[in-house]
Amino acid sequence: MPATTRQQFQEELAELERSALGGLDLVCEALDRAIEVVQHQDVELASMVIADDDRIDGRYLEVHQGILSLLALQAPVAGDLRLVAALLHVIKHVERMGDQCVNMAKLVPLAGHEPPADEETLGYIARMGELSRSLVVQCKLAFAQRDADLAQDLVRQDDEIDRLNRSCFHRALAIGDEPDRREWAMHMMLVARCLERVGDNAVDIGEQTAFVVTGLFREFEDASHPDSAPKG
Amino acid sequence: MTDPQRDPEGPPAHDALSEAAARSARHTAVETHVTPERHERASRTDARPIFEIDSVSVFYSGTPAVREIGFHVGENEITALIGPSGCGKSTLLRCLNRMNDLIPGATVEGSVRYHGADLYGPKVDPVQVRKLIGMVFQKPNPFPKSIYDNIAFGPRVLGMKGDLDEIVERALRRGALWDEVKDRLDENAYGMSGGQQQRLCIARCMAIEPDVILMDEPCSALDPISTGKIEDLMLELKENYSIVIVTHNMQQAARVSDRTAFFTVDLDEDDHRIGRVVEFDDTEKVFTNPSDPRTEAYVTGKVG
Repeated sequence: MPATTRQQFQEELAELERSALGGLDLVCEALDRAIEVVQHQDVELASMVIADDDRIDGRYLEVHQGILSLLALQAPVAGDLRLVAALLHVIKHVERMGDQCVNMAKLVPLAGHEPPADEETLGYIARMGELSRSLVVQCKLAFAQRDADLAQDLVRQDDEIDRLNRSCFHRALAIGDEPDRREWAMHMMLVARCLERVGDNAVDIGEQTAFVVTGLFREFEDASHPDSAPKG
Repeated sequence: MTDPQRDPEGPPAHDALSEAAARSARHTAVETHVTPERHERASRTDARPIFEIDSVSVFYSGTPAVREIGFHVGENEITALIGPSGCGKSTLLRCLNRMNDLIPGATVEGSVRYHGADLYGPKVDPVQVRKLIGMVFQKPNPFPKSIYDNIAFGPRVLGMKGDLDEIVERALRRGALWDEVKDRLDENAYGMSGGQQQRLCIARCMAIEPDVILMDEPCSALDPISTGKIEDLMLELKENYSIVIVTHNMQQAARVSDRTAFFTVDLDEDDHRIGRVVEFDDTEKVFTNPSDPRTEAYVTGKVG
C-alpha cells in the first residue's frame, strides 16, 4: 500500500469528528442531570443544566467553524466530503439535544415545590430517560465505528420511547380532576416530549451514520409515510 | 435549428468518418431540445456516444502502456480522464485522434468507434480524423507567426471556403479571445500571455470546424484567472462540441466535467507499468460516492 498523504488534513478531519462526537458526551451529562432534576424536583440542579448548556452551544460553534474552514481550505471529496457533511448534521443534533435538556430543566421549577407527583408517570419518564440516554450512547458508538446495523438498531429502542411517550399522555388524561395534579401531569407530558425528541435526534445521527457508510441518505422511519420506510 | 457555428460551405464530407459526423450533427440539431439543466444532470445513459472505446490496449514497441480500456464518451459532454502520472491518460487521449500513429512502434488494439464508424478502419484518413478531432496540449504551442496567421493557418492549408477574416474572427470569438486581441491581430503570438496563448491554441483548433476537442492538461501551466477563463470556455463550447480532457487537477475535473474516467497503474507479471480504467461514472458520483476504493483513495488524496 502506498504511503498515506494529506496527513494534516486527515488529522484535522479526525479531530473534528472527535470534537463533534464528544458533544454527545456533553449531552449525556446534561441528560443525566435533567433526568435527576425531574425525578427529585431539584431546582438548583436545574439551573446548572441551563447554565452548562453554554458548553454544548460552544462546542456547536467550534465544530461548525472547523467544518467551514475544512471545506474552504481542504476541499474534501468522496468519503471525506460525506463525513464532513454528516458531522454538520451531527453537531446540529447535539445542539438540539442540549436544548431539550434545558427545556426539561426549565419545566421542573414550574411544577412548584413538592408537586402532586404520580408514581406511574414518573416510572414512564424514568424509563424514557434510560432509553434516550442509551440511544445517545449508541448513536455515538455507531457513528464512530461506522456501524450501519448498530445505527439501524436505534429505531427499535426509539419505538419503545414513542410508546412510553403515548403512555404518559394517556396517564395525564386519566389523572383526575384535581387542578394541581393535572397541571403537574401536563408538565410531565412536556418532559416526556423532550425525551422523545432526544431519541429522534439520536436516530437522525444514526441516519447520518448510514449515509457516511453507504453514500445514500434515507430516513430510517418516515413519519409522513409510515408504511413506506424500510423495516430494520 | 441550424448550427451557425458549423460552416455550411466547409469542405464536403468525402469519407465515411465525415459522413458519420455530419449525419450525427443533423441528429444533434433535432435532439438537443432538452433544457440545459436536464442536459447538465443527464445520467450516463442519456448522452449519445461520440466515442465508443472498447477493449483498447496500446503498446509502445511491444510493451503495453494501457490495457483493456473501455468506456463511452458522450456527445456534447465534457469527459475528464484522471489518474496518477504514467497511468496512460494521455496515451488513451491520443488514440482518439490517432496521434499515436505518429509515434514509431506504437500499436493500438481493440476498437474505437467514432459516431459508430471504426476510427482505425482501412479507409480512414488520419489527417481527416485530426481535422474533425482537434487537440490542445499542455504547453501553449502557437506558431511563430502573427495572431491572425496562427488562426488562418489551418483554414488556408485545408482550402476552406469563406471569408478568411470572418473565419479568424469567429474562431477568436469562440476562443473567448477576440476582445483582447482584435486590435493587434498582426502582432506575433509569442507576445501574448500564457493564458492568451492557450486560448489562441483553442481558437486555432476551432478554426477548422472540429467536432471534438481533446485537451491534454490545458491549464497546468496557467494561473487561476486564465484557468477560470478556459474552464468557462469549455462549458460554453460543450453546447456545440464534445470535449475530452486529461487533468491532474481534481477540482478542475469536478468543476467542468460531466463524466470522469479514473485510471490507475498496475505492475504486470513482467513488471511493466500498465494503465487501466478502474471507474467510469458521472463526475458527481465519482466525487461524492465513488464505487471503487482506489478511486476514493485517489480523489481524496490518501494515496501518494
